[in-house]
Amino acid sequence: MAVGRRDGRAGQDVLRRVGEASVLVLISLADGPKHGYALIQDIKELAGVELGPGTLYGALDRLERLGLIESLPADDRRHPYRITAPGAAALRVHLDSLERLSAAGRLRLQLGGI
Amino acid sequence: MDEPRATRLVETALRCYPARWRRRHGEEAAELAALLIRDGTPAASIAWSYLAGAAREWLTPRPGRRLSTVACALLVAACSLGVSAGLLAPAAPARAAPTRAASTGQARASAHCRPGLPVPVPGVVAALGRPQVIIWEAAHGRSC
Repeated sequence: MAVGRRDGRAGQDVLRRVGEASVLVLISLADGPKHGYALIQDIKELAGVELGPGTLYGALDRLERLGLIESLPADDRRHPYRITAPGAAALRVHLDSLERLSAAGRLRLQLGGI
Repeated sequence: MDEPRATRLVETALRCYPARWRRRHGEEAAELAALLIRDGTPAASIAWSYLAGAAREWLTPRPGRRLSTVACALLVAACSLGVSAGLLAPAAPARAAPTRAASTGQARASAHCRPGLPVPVPGVVAALGRPQVIIWEAAHGRSC
């Protein structure tokens, strides 16, 4: 069910439909593996968004099903999660798409003189 | 809220998840909740988040859940059919009898204005092929 294996849609923005929480989790994991508590703290600092634990596990399950992250062996009772290569590629595509959208929005604001 | 009560609340919410999910994340989720409570997050909001997550988890279609979903749908359909049939069964003869009796003018005429008298309605019993049934016709207050 992983994105790359399933349909091979390289370059397509698969993160468009996974929801904000999943994107935030991927961004948080981009600089190294983290477990649930560290993810919640990091996302709070990074984006000012306080993810509920239920939302977090929903996002982790979704991303894992898509093959964008993987769970590492547990240390104590905590499972750290790591971004996979398809996950990093999907995040790059999504951030590029957001960048283009952001640039277009700024340009239109400029043209509109608002 | 004191810690044991908060823990119980979160554990109750975690029990709402499917067993497969609990096996995979249960312990970790309980520990995460304990850490968040220690940080000052209200236990009720953690429990609510887990409850919403559990609802999403149950509603998310999974390949292995197809058969059980179909089984549940069939069960619900069978139950609703059973209830409908149960509600309709006692009402049907009561509605059907006056219609048949109305077609037998003679019987109707003799029964009219004589409340309380049992009047056998010919035709009904013969058509059903059952032992004779006595139908009580009520008095019509308007014409008597």
